[in-house]
Amino acid sequence: MDSLITAAARALAAGDPLGALNRVALRDDPQALALRGIAMAQLGDFERARPLLRRAARSFGPREPVARARCVVAEAEIALVSRDLRWPTKALELAQATLQAHGDRINAAHARYLSLRRLLLIGRLDEAERALASSDASSLPAALRTIHWLAIAGIAMRRLRATHARHALAQATHDARQAGIPALIAEVEHASRALAVPAARLLSGGMQQPLLLEEVEALSTSGRLIVDACRHAVYATSALVSLGRRPVLFALAHALAEAWPGDVSRHELAVRAFRARQVDDSHRARLRVEIGRLRTELRALADVRATERGFVLKPLHAPGVAVLAQPVDEKHAALLALLADGESWSSSGLALALGSSQRTVQRALDALADAGKVQALGRGRSRRWITPPVPGFTTTLLLPAPLPGD
Amino acid sequence: MKRSAAHIVREYGPFTGVDQVHGVTYDGERVWFASGDKLVALDPDSGITQGAMDVAAHAGTAFDGRYLFQIAERRIQKIDPGTGRVLASIPAPGNGGDSGLAWAEGTLWVGEYRERKIHQVDPDTGAILRTIESNRFVTGVTWVDGELWHATWEGNESELRHIDARTGEVLEKLEMPAGTVVSGLESDGHNTFFCGGGQSGKLRAVRRPR
Repeated sequence: MDSLITAAARALAAGDPLGALNRVALRDDPQALALRGIAMAQLGDFERARPLLRRAARSFGPREPVARARCVVAEAEIALVSRDLRWPTKALELAQATLQAHGDRINAAHARYLSLRRLLLIGRLDEAERALASSDASSLPAALRTIHWLAIAGIAMRRLRATHARHALAQATHDARQAGIPALIAEVEHASRALAVPAARLLSGGMQQPLLLEEVEALSTSGRLIVDACRHAVYATSALVSLGRRPVLFALAHALAEAWPGDVSRHELAVRAFRARQVDDSHRARLRVEIGRLRTELRALADVRATERGFVLKPLHAPGVAVLAQPVDEKHAALLALLADGESWSSSGLALALGSSQRTVQRALDALADAGKVQALGRGRSRRWITPPVPGFTTTLLLPAPLPGD
Repeated sequence: MKRSAAHIVREYGPFTGVDQVHGVTYDGERVWFASGDKLVALDPDSGITQGAMDVAAHAGTAFDGRYLFQIAERRIQKIDPGTGRVLASIPAPGNGGDSGLAWAEGTLWVGEYRERKIHQVDPDTGAILRTIESNRFVTGVTWVDGELWHATWEGNESELRHIDARTGEVLEKLEMPAGTVVSGLESDGHNTFFCGGGQSGKLRAVRRPR
């Protein structure tokens, strides 16, 4: 390593990206490019940071695989923080393997946590949970331990394990303070606030009630039959039936649960499940088929019985029925829930996370923008979406040191 | 060309408060090494540090018998080892791309890392007198018994090389173990090379082959 690279790297490590840029701004060797990229990222200019890091990765020589891998990791981290989820995960996996093979344990772990956070963000909880279970964070630096606990808390929250989430967040708070990185501490505080605001609404017997995550957890073990509109599932203590890919069946279950212990007329069921304006014989025939399918799906939990005017839900063992709904009754609640993390998202990132098409998401975003509920930044491919007001933008970059070391 | 594995006879450090070792030199009693914002003195027999001077120290270090020379950013500074005062400075030949530094017979020898070059420089003006080309990234440079040696460091691999000072031809290579890199290089004038260990924060003594 040469003199100015050392001086610039020291400036970066001391939190002085401008000082680093002053020293290497005019140089185009790979080490200088990497340092310029990291400095730009620390200054929040991701659009410039990524091509610099990509150029650096390309121009490191065949004897410098570790430096190249670190640039790939840094680029992936910038992509994650800017919520661009379409980056090549293959390149990150290869970089992780290279770092591991060359004994750079900490940056290899860093790369692993980036993949894991991406899985968490796009809702692939099972995969994220498996990856977490096989990683031991205890010997890692405090900043990476914080990421580890935040990931565990994220999964626990989505799985309604409030106690688990609270414990993980306490650990994350402890480790973030030890790391002493203000942005990371803020991110943990932000995540902790989610436990203090309503996570869902309970609709039962015509009454509404906001529920904290802990209360949602208590509800799920209360023995009642829950029709959960946040996760599109029906469950009781004994079993869970996911209807995420059966929207018509879920709409029927939702309507029946709302009316319980009363019944719902055939007409109303057809209106709600098929979005029909006028109900004719073909709708009634289709309703019979769909009710049959719902009966099959729910057979372990409840029966669906015909009444004089329609149908009624009869839980098998559960003493009661309740509906769990999004905390705000909003058409695009799921979209807003993602944007509520305070980060800027691309429409493609949102589509990937919601599992719907980009065009659908785009239409929803346009509608929300017209209503002043979201705001767009930038143009074209680099356009990002945020929910106003912007709460200080937590973009915690830990970024690996890009230079070869011992 | 002879090629052999480097024999590490002793490892010093890591030292408290030292997270990197760049240039290395030897004043006959103490080893001085550059560590970013200070020059640290070490007794090579006991392995105990003897204090440090606060001075910018980003790359090579040399000793002319009386003063220390230290590369900092784009310049080579002449430093009084007693007081730590900077007495003079000249521009470094690589304009900041400089790595190793050595003193021999009235001139300075400066490694230029990615350019794979070694420059002979006038210590008063900084004028380049001569340039030798290598085929590897050059880090530390040292002279011992009329032999010019330099270290190479590419990625996580390093070698010590004895080269012909006129032609640049490689006469002998000592290969460092995988993952052990050499930043600064200095000979003790006899049988030992002192090798800076970069980000490992270590200093290593390597036996000089005869």
